[in-house]
Amino acid sequence: MNLLISLTALGVVAMFGGILKFRSMVMPLSVLGLIGASLLGVYAWNTNQSFLNDMMRMDNYAIAFSIVCMAGTLLTILFFHFFHSENEIHYAEAVALMLFAVAGCAVMVSFTNLLMLFLGIEILSLSLYVLAGLRKKDLLSNESSLKYFLMGAFSTGFLLFGIALLYGATGSFATTQIAYQLGIAGMNGMAAMGLLLLMIGLLFKVAAVPFQFWTPDVYQGAPTIVTAFMATVGKVAAFAAFLRLFQLCFAPSKEGYQLVIGTVAAITMLAGNIMAIYQSSTKRMLAYSSIAHAGYMLIAVMTLNASSNGSILFYSVAYTLASISSFLIVMVVQQNRNNDTADDFNGLGKTNPWIAFALAVSMLSLSGIPATAGFFGKFYVFSSAVSDGFIWVVAVAVISSFISIYYYFRPVIAAYSKQTHDPVMTMPAGTQALLILLSLLTILLGILPGFIAGII
Amino acid sequence: MPNIFQTVPLIHFVYLSALLFCIGVVGVLIRRNAIIIFMSIELMLNSVNLLLVAFSAYRQDPPGQIFVFFIMAVAAAEVAVGLAIIIMIYRNIRTVDINELSRLKG
Amino acid sequence: MLLEIKTSATSTAVDYFPIVIQFVFAAGFVATTMFVTHILGPHLKTKKKLKAFESGIKSVGNARQPFAIKYFLTAILFVLFDVEVIFLYPWAVNFLDLGMGGIITMGLFMVLLLIGFFYIIKSGALDWE
Repeated sequence: MNLLISLTALGVVAMFGGILKFRSMVMPLSVLGLIGASLLGVYAWNTNQSFLNDMMRMDNYAIAFSIVCMAGTLLTILFFHFFHSENEIHYAEAVALMLFAVAGCAVMVSFTNLLMLFLGIEILSLSLYVLAGLRKKDLLSNESSLKYFLMGAFSTGFLLFGIALLYGATGSFATTQIAYQLGIAGMNGMAAMGLLLLMIGLLFKVAAVPFQFWTPDVYQGAPTIVTAFMATVGKVAAFAAFLRLFQLCFAPSKEGYQLVIGTVAAITMLAGNIMAIYQSSTKRMLAYSSIAHAGYMLIAVMTLNASSNGSILFYSVAYTLASISSFLIVMVVQQNRNNDTADDFNGLGKTNPWIAFALAVSMLSLSGIPATAGFFGKFYVFSSAVSDGFIWVVAVAVISSFISIYYYFRPVIAAYSKQTHDPVMTMPAGTQALLILLSLLTILLGILPGFIAGII
Repeated sequence: MPNIFQTVPLIHFVYLSALLFCIGVVGVLIRRNAIIIFMSIELMLNSVNLLLVAFSAYRQDPPGQIFVFFIMAVAAAEVAVGLAIIIMIYRNIRTVDINELSRLKG
Repeated sequence: MLLEIKTSATSTAVDYFPIVIQFVFAAGFVATTMFVTHILGPHLKTKKKLKAFESGIKSVGNARQPFAIKYFLTAILFVLFDVEVIFLYPWAVNFLDLGMGGIITMGLFMVLLLIGFFYIIKSGALDWE
């Protein structure tokens, strides 16, 4: 709870940075504040306290995912600071919106009442709608913002109708009560309908097929730094909430819907990876790749056993590290060569060896090659699915991982084996160091995975 | 105290709000004017409010109505953000037809 | 089980008959009066007569002009602050039960709203010119 209060206060303070003329303080303040909030989270580890009449509980699951989201936000804010131009009018407001969004994430991952789930999702989403439209004069950004808003609000409708039906069937919004009532009465028609609608709403939010159609457009149109934020922090929080909801409410009746989620996961992985092959823009390719990763993470939601929490946490960390750095490299390439096709990565290994190294590591991690964090992310998720007997889903997942290698390696191959006459790429100071740090973390987690996997 | 809501069978409320919800969904899917899509979404949210209030009155259980308050507050925030986005677009392209917005294609 | 609470109170179609009659009368009254006024009234179609009546003040220009953006901004801000009032109702109903804790909580809520209001004023969203 202290974590949440400090995040909100931090957001309010950052909001005033622009108009009260302490703009230069915003970045250091938010970085320190986020680190402080994470320390508060660490301090509350193992306390398992409930707040607000048992509407939210800061258990280890909630704290771990809050910290992952805050770390993602910290990186995004740093990179946003590096790359913002001096005439960026809404700099302080953008940082404040990111902080509000992460406060929403903290609510989402710690709910024990459906009201809190709804509020958390909305706090996150409303911030993201505005962030996507950060470039007010840029039509692509406008369009991305409107599409995201309409689709997000549409999915909220489904989510709410599901919650209402579930309330009708069980008489409560508290997860413990819902689980208890469903345990006695079993899944009646109304509860099943509610579960289905709730699932549709959440699948929209995590961008799983067949509700993924907004993702590529939104991710491509939004400013790249915002895309990185949406694709990592937003997605991780949505998955954490998804898994938490199912663990708390619907775990006993999982046989009834496992097949549905498994099928959705299989189609999502295949469709995301196959569509990604045909994209020329690397940013759009990464958008499809994020759809495919939603598919892999859905496997953990489907399995829903004791190891799901740990495996999805590890996957989130690996995915966040690799995604943020790959989006960042795309941004650097866009700024220097005005485009982001695979050809624009030509010769990167010669001109900017460290950036090429970071690119290679993040792409290897996203495709799940051993000795990177991505490998163990997939390994944990797949092995727990296999132990529960879902061999067919894992088979699809492995096949689609092989497909993904093809498009993930395209920019890497271009960077190392092709020549260019373009000059060395320039980027703000500190970018390169942070990218190298992210790559080293990815490799470290690929060698010593036990570090995070067993934590919750 | 007799509950006035209970003179109408609950299932009628469920049907009514499901119908309103479906009208909203169809509106979102077939209309091309951003404002009308937006109104359809509001209709979806309000059908949920109706359903929650009906359940709440039936069970004599206040949390349902409190949830409605929160939905209304969040819907107002959504209206603010949504209208702001639509105005921003209108300033740039002078229309709110979403077919005009198709620059983002693969 | 929930759905069977009040199925005994089902009403038959006959019970709705008075409502139908009321609808018929309402629609009939409107239709009749509109029709009759067209027949009975004098027909003077001068330019002044066909103008929109605005309480005697001369009408100016076309009504279907786009509003200035600033109206939208003010309207949006109004909606935001207006709706927050609904949270005061449950508090007001339980005012005595909630006691001092309730007052402090609501005060905090109001302070947060005021911070937002302060931001709006400071950022110049309400400057009309």
